[in-house]
Amino acid sequence: MKQVAVRNIRLCTKDCLCLYVCPTGATDTENSIIDTTKCTGCKSCADACPNGAISMVPLSYPAQQKKQDDVIAILNAVSYRKMQAETIANQIACQAGNQTVQPLMQAIARSSRLIAEDLIREAGYMLPQSANAQDFLQGLLTNPPDDFPTEIVTELLTRIPCNETKEGIIQ
Amino acid sequence: MKYICVICGFVYDEAKEPVLFSALPDTWICPVCGARKNNFHAEEDKKKPQEAHTIYETDLQPLSTAQLSALCSNLARGCEKQYKFRESELYTQLSEYFLRHTPQEPEASLDRITALLKEDLNEGYKTIHRIASDVGDRGALRVCVWGEKVTRILHDLMERYATEGEQFLADTNIWVCSICGFVYVGNTAPMLCPVCKVPDWKFEKIEGGIGL
Repeated sequence: MKQVAVRNIRLCTKDCLCLYVCPTGATDTENSIIDTTKCTGCKSCADACPNGAISMVPLSYPAQQKKQDDVIAILNAVSYRKMQAETIANQIACQAGNQTVQPLMQAIARSSRLIAEDLIREAGYMLPQSANAQDFLQGLLTNPPDDFPTEIVTELLTRIPCNETKEGIIQ
Repeated sequence: MKYICVICGFVYDEAKEPVLFSALPDTWICPVCGARKNNFHAEEDKKKPQEAHTIYETDLQPLSTAQLSALCSNLARGCEKQYKFRESELYTQLSEYFLRHTPQEPEASLDRITALLKEDLNEGYKTIHRIASDVGDRGALRVCVWGEKVTRILHDLMERYATEGEQFLADTNIWVCSICGFVYVGNTAPMLCPVCKVPDWKFEKIEGGIGL
């Protein structure tokens, strides 16, 4: 599986061993982002980095885990309420002005969103490359409302190829 | 006797503490995660899993507009983790589109939020746990563990706001773990998230004041 190196700038302690070992100069950039067009995936930089700041990211991903309908249904039932809580918390925060309830509502909204995202991820939307995510995007292009940004969806569909076939076999 | 916090696992050991657990005031909170006293159970207590009563539809319902927003912000994170920054930005824009089109909730009250949290604790998470255990879905079980603990702390914060009023939020900060959603009230973020154990720099400070 073809991989490329990526650097986590948060962990990078500027020991710069990656510069010494990279055979193509891909790690030597002004913005600290490894040049993926030059990276050959040789992994030398990741092995040399004393702080574990470089990891290898695959260019293609395996198919995500299949989920059963009853699991999806209950996860969706809970994420539905989490998003209701977010909506209510946002409404209260908007009306609250500078009262102390406002930051509490913002925290509730933020937290509810994170939990909902986690539930939805487990309900079949783990990978952007999955057939589910692709079907979701395709569905948005059928009879969209007038103000719907279809160009965003088309760009996403072009940029992220699907990694599953109808039979669930990885391409 | 030892009492254990269900959210972070902190142990209140009566042998080492000056006060018996039962003598602690109701306003006492867990020194690690801020959970209220009723989230502690005695070490000897056998865990009694209670059955959920609500029967949920297992037919797949279409997602609400707000859920579509969360679906897109989730995929934006997924793209970000894969270092696909343009794709992440596009999904974020879609997420914002759905957020803007989310209809207002007719009953926007603090009580309604508390009721939703209570329903998740009493029914939702128990049902996820039961179904996910039956089919051996470990991913769904993991969501259940984090989500239930975070829901519990949110419920606690709502109850504290209802009983203690505004002063428990005065002259302090509110922090949200950007990974699991755990909310912490205190001057600085905890060294490790009590729920998902990520380091303090994964916490975001709620700045407040500005519109959403």
